[in-house]
Amino acid sequence: MPTKKAQYNISEADLFMNEVEQRSGQNLSACYQCRRCAAGCPVGMQTRVTPDRLVRMIMLGSRDEALNNLLVWKCVACYTCGTRCPNNIQTARITETLKQMAKEAGIDPLIHRTADFNSAFMQAAGHLGRFNELEGMAIYETKSMLKDIKKGDLKSIITEIKDQAQLGLVMAEKKRLHLKFDRVKNLSEIKTMYKKAKSSKKEDMQ
Amino acid sequence: MTEVAYYPGCSLHASSELYDVQCKMVFSNLGIELKEIDDWNCCGATAAAKTDDFLAIALPARNLGIADATGLSEIVIPCSSCYSRTLVSQKRLLCDNELKDKINAELSRKVEARVKVSSILDLLMPKLLSGELTAKTQRKLAGLKVACYYGCLLTRFPCDINVNDNVENPQTMEKICEELGAEPVDWGFKTDCCGASASVNDAEQSLLLMSYILKDAVSRGADCIVTTCPLCQMNLDAHQKRVCEKYGINKELPVYFITELIGVTMGFDPIEMQLDRHFVDALSLLREKGLV
Repeated sequence: MPTKKAQYNISEADLFMNEVEQRSGQNLSACYQCRRCAAGCPVGMQTRVTPDRLVRMIMLGSRDEALNNLLVWKCVACYTCGTRCPNNIQTARITETLKQMAKEAGIDPLIHRTADFNSAFMQAAGHLGRFNELEGMAIYETKSMLKDIKKGDLKSIITEIKDQAQLGLVMAEKKRLHLKFDRVKNLSEIKTMYKKAKSSKKEDMQ
Repeated sequence: MTEVAYYPGCSLHASSELYDVQCKMVFSNLGIELKEIDDWNCCGATAAAKTDDFLAIALPARNLGIADATGLSEIVIPCSSCYSRTLVSQKRLLCDNELKDKINAELSRKVEARVKVSSILDLLMPKLLSGELTAKTQRKLAGLKVACYYGCLLTRFPCDINVNDNVENPQTMEKICEELGAEPVDWGFKTDCCGASASVNDAEQSLLLMSYILKDAVSRGADCIVTTCPLCQMNLDAHQKRVCEKYGINKELPVYFITELIGVTMGFDPIEMQLDRHFVDALSLLREKGLV
């Protein structure tokens, strides 16, 4: 059986690349694959997909691969790639954009904890207007553990409970656990911003 | 006393409360009163940029509006992440009136984004150059070898923002530490990433990144690390034991906030500065060197 070759569809590739360029504000077609970004990427050794390769994927219109690869979910947004890019392309902005596009497309992230953390953080920050660490962690652990349970990944759950319990104990011992909840008084302004964000996303997608 | 607007951000009101206390102590001694802006909100940190482009600009914009309304010309933001996100928001608002109007439509204190956004180093540097920092020094940090750690967000931005230092090899903290009598080591990981929030959601990756930083600092003969970012401090301090066990590093390094080293030279009581709230013992080294 001959293996199925990926089809290169110019108009689909253009459409995808334009969307990523527009949303991330990055002129990624300026990339000439010098790989300075790859040399500086702190997670490149683990992700294999380095920023230059991610840019190439997008140019070729490999939508599924571009929206769900290890670099998208392991990028630490250190901005080294973009600082060193001779063409001023900030690939970390691209991974940020791809995370959002993956969510909108209903893709199951390769590392669900990354998506869970970001969404838990925003949920907690929006709830009281300030990020309360205990609240944020509780939302995050609930989200991620529910996914692990669904996947039958008991090992991850046990490791997570062990690690977090250890950290929690030391933090309590060093009086670094903050039990009081901080909040914004004029919370309605924050809530309105969150609503506006939601509605502008809907507009963009139509 | 000069008044400067102050945005502590969430972590300085929670797990890094000690940094809030120290900032106020140190700057007050330098003649700067930090006026915390009222009713500030979370800046969205790095999570906002990864989930929602509108909130990533709008959340810091509300704080900028509150800062504008104080009438003060400068706001200092000690946390690197808050500092970076606020600067990015300001930059965007200044060149995108449509977005600014859209945000202002919901704000009681409209944002003009005119206030000067400063890091803690931006505020310290003039005090170093004017000699005021030296004038407040009661004892020198003699014999203390420090690895100055900048992390990512003090010198690298996702958009074009002017940085008052060498981006690849910043020197501001070194200059300050030298003035305090400490000996900064020349090392290779001062602007490398500690993993930031990946220490929560991708711990193995973050531990690996921290191992590079700690290994290099140890091999260059540093006695300690000094930083300005509460998340870098928390990561390198709280997870250090785990990193050292996993990667065979046999020396523990206290991770100081720059305010702690300055505070020591100013003769402040280490307990009043809350140095006992570190994970890696931060007091023994200072005692060993006869600094407290």
